[in-house]
Amino acid sequence: MLRQLASKRLITQRIQILPRFYHEKVIDHFNNPRNVGSFDKNDPAVGTGLVGAPACGDVMKLQIKVDDTTGEIVDARFKTFGCGSAIASSSVATEWVKGKQMEEVMTIKNTEIAKHLSLPPVKLHCSMLAEDAIKAAVKDYKTKRAKSNVDSEAEPAVKAAQA
Amino acid sequence: MASKLQLCVRRLSTLRKHCCFPSSSSSSFLVRSRSLLIQPSRTINHHSSIHSPPLSRTFYSSPLLNINSTDTEGPAAIDYRSLLQEGEFHSLADSTIHDLQEKLEEYGDTVQIDGFDIDYGNEVLTLKLGDLGTYVLNKQSPNRQLWLSSPVSGPSRFDWDQNAQAWVYRRTKANLLKVLESEMGQLFGEPIKLA
Repeated sequence: MLRQLASKRLITQRIQILPRFYHEKVIDHFNNPRNVGSFDKNDPAVGTGLVGAPACGDVMKLQIKVDDTTGEIVDARFKTFGCGSAIASSSVATEWVKGKQMEEVMTIKNTEIAKHLSLPPVKLHCSMLAEDAIKAAVKDYKTKRAKSNVDSEAEPAVKAAQA
Repeated sequence: MASKLQLCVRRLSTLRKHCCFPSSSSSSFLVRSRSLLIQPSRTINHHSSIHSPPLSRTFYSSPLLNINSTDTEGPAAIDYRSLLQEGEFHSLADSTIHDLQEKLEEYGDTVQIDGFDIDYGNEVLTLKLGDLGTYVLNKQSPNRQLWLSSPVSGPSRFDWDQNAQAWVYRRTKANLLKVLESEMGQLFGEPIKLA
């Protein structure tokens, strides 16, 4: 009995020596990531943001599916290569963009993501990458929209020329 | 002693994820001996960062969408002539970090902040200001950038501007030393000079 108590105390003491550990929200997002996956990037309603570089350790791909008529983001998916904080940041980002207008999500700040996940100073850059991924996805969607509008405008002009 | 070793190993592994080690081709002996500790990542980085900008960029379908372009307002073409050579980057970055460390250590003697602590390990400068927060400054070699994490302004990434001869954050045009001077001046309660 005494030996059991003594060894238990030793174990708790050893655990207390560990100075760093992930916040439970980060662990939750890592173990149960929300919205993992991808959309067809050729779908005109989909915007894809790809940020980061493997050499730096983190790559994030965040995709949004937008309702053309209302400008609302109806769905989002992400795939991230990197540390637990990067994965959690992009997972939180996909949760936060769903059901919001595109203009609204452009105002999501990395500081909010970092505060939500209680990221340590060294991992704040992951939240910045997530913010960049959101912005890149919205930008990509807008570019695609603009390009398809230009193409559809050019068509009637061609038809008129042929007629 | 064992716990200190654990601390070091853990720190190395978190840093490995956070900052990349330079390729062996142009690193100094000191860096080479340090990178020997992290054998596996060295080979990976060697392949991906030997001519670091082009190789990592050709991986993507959209070549302009990378960490450099996210630091400007929109996707901007990278001016390769302005990119630093690796050796130059390391000597510039190292001297900046060392100068900062010396100046901050001097201020540490005079400034009255509870829990003031400066640590430099594995090319990462960590400045703890107790309850006021922690600053972390490190090199991001593949991008030739200095990354700063500030309790006041969050994360920022500084590139070397040849014309200004200073580290500049492209998005806000902020100068690294000026940012630190103004933020820390407010935190310390007295103006400081870091230049």
